[in-house]
Amino acid sequence: MKEDLQMKLQAYLDGELSAGEAKAVLGWLAQDAVARNLLVELTNTRAALLSHESEMKVSDSREFYWSKIRRQIEGEDKIVIATKRISLMDRIHRLLVPAGAAAAVFVAVMLALPRTNGVGDGFADAGDAVAFTYHNYDSGTTLVWLDYPAENDLSEMELDDTLDL
Amino acid sequence: MADMDYTAAQDAELVQASRQGDMVAFEQLVARHRDKIYARAYMMMRNEEEAIDLSQEAWVKGWQRLVQFQGESSFTTWMTRIVINLCLDQLRKRKRQRAESIEAMEEESGGVERQMPVVMVNPTEQMERAELRVRIDEALGKLSEAHRTVLVLHEFEHMEYKNIAKTMKCSIGTVMSRLFYARRKMASLLQDLKTSE
Repeated sequence: MKEDLQMKLQAYLDGELSAGEAKAVLGWLAQDAVARNLLVELTNTRAALLSHESEMKVSDSREFYWSKIRRQIEGEDKIVIATKRISLMDRIHRLLVPAGAAAAVFVAVMLALPRTNGVGDGFADAGDAVAFTYHNYDSGTTLVWLDYPAENDLSEMELDDTLDL
Repeated sequence: MADMDYTAAQDAELVQASRQGDMVAFEQLVARHRDKIYARAYMMMRNEEEAIDLSQEAWVKGWQRLVQFQGESSFTTWMTRIVINLCLDQLRKRKRQRAESIEAMEEESGGVERQMPVVMVNPTEQMERAELRVRIDEALGKLSEAHRTVLVLHEFEHMEYKNIAKTMKCSIGTVMSRLFYARRKMASLLQDLKTSE
């Protein structure tokens, strides 16, 4: 018997065929004694296996069997609690690390600024809230920025006028 | 929970109580169904110690996943699925350790067994129940892990071909082939056991 026919016969036994396919197999079985015998064998084997169900039992006592399960459950619960605690610490760390790094950079910049001012190139507040100076010691040049709102307004007005033209 | 009659309670009630952390209720469920869960593990692993360990691991997983149990199937069916999955994982692990693959295993279904003569007489007829159990147990032990697993999932778990294929991560064709081989081999083994008396 061909393999595909054997598989079809088995699928028929297992109720895996469509109504049309099952009908075709029935027709085939009516004419083929070998197929009928194979179906009987498969059916007997299945019946024997079904009778084998639920005969085995745990040899350990109820208390002993349960004690290991309980220990594992209690152990897992402790691990879960510990993991939750670690997770909370992790979250705090995730917030603290970048904040700490940013703070460190800020402090470093603040410490570095006054030193550069006295040694080499640097910016200095000229006393006026809107005036800044830049001094290059190598070339001995000094630049002063004067930033008055009135001029800015005027510049913008002039620019607007230009665009209008 | 305190005034619950655990022995008389239905599985559903015990599951509900267990979900709320009642370990006494869960212990009652374990006591009721441990034999079935163990039997399934043993059938797949063929090793008593391993079956005990895996069945206990299944109960621990069951406790942890109780919230996932929707009650669509019975509690024992749900627990059986858990232990089967654990057994399959264990079998795959074992195969990997042997540098083999359960999927790549040579299909014995194409060999002699497919062509062997049909067993005409029911070899299990008129056997005592205990005797039949011993014989089937012996015969199951002679099957390969892959063939035994297909047989267990189909005959005892009543799973359809497509679900077995999904569980075992193989094609439906492979499932059919393995099942056919396993059945024929079982018939042959049971016949041999009978004639060798």
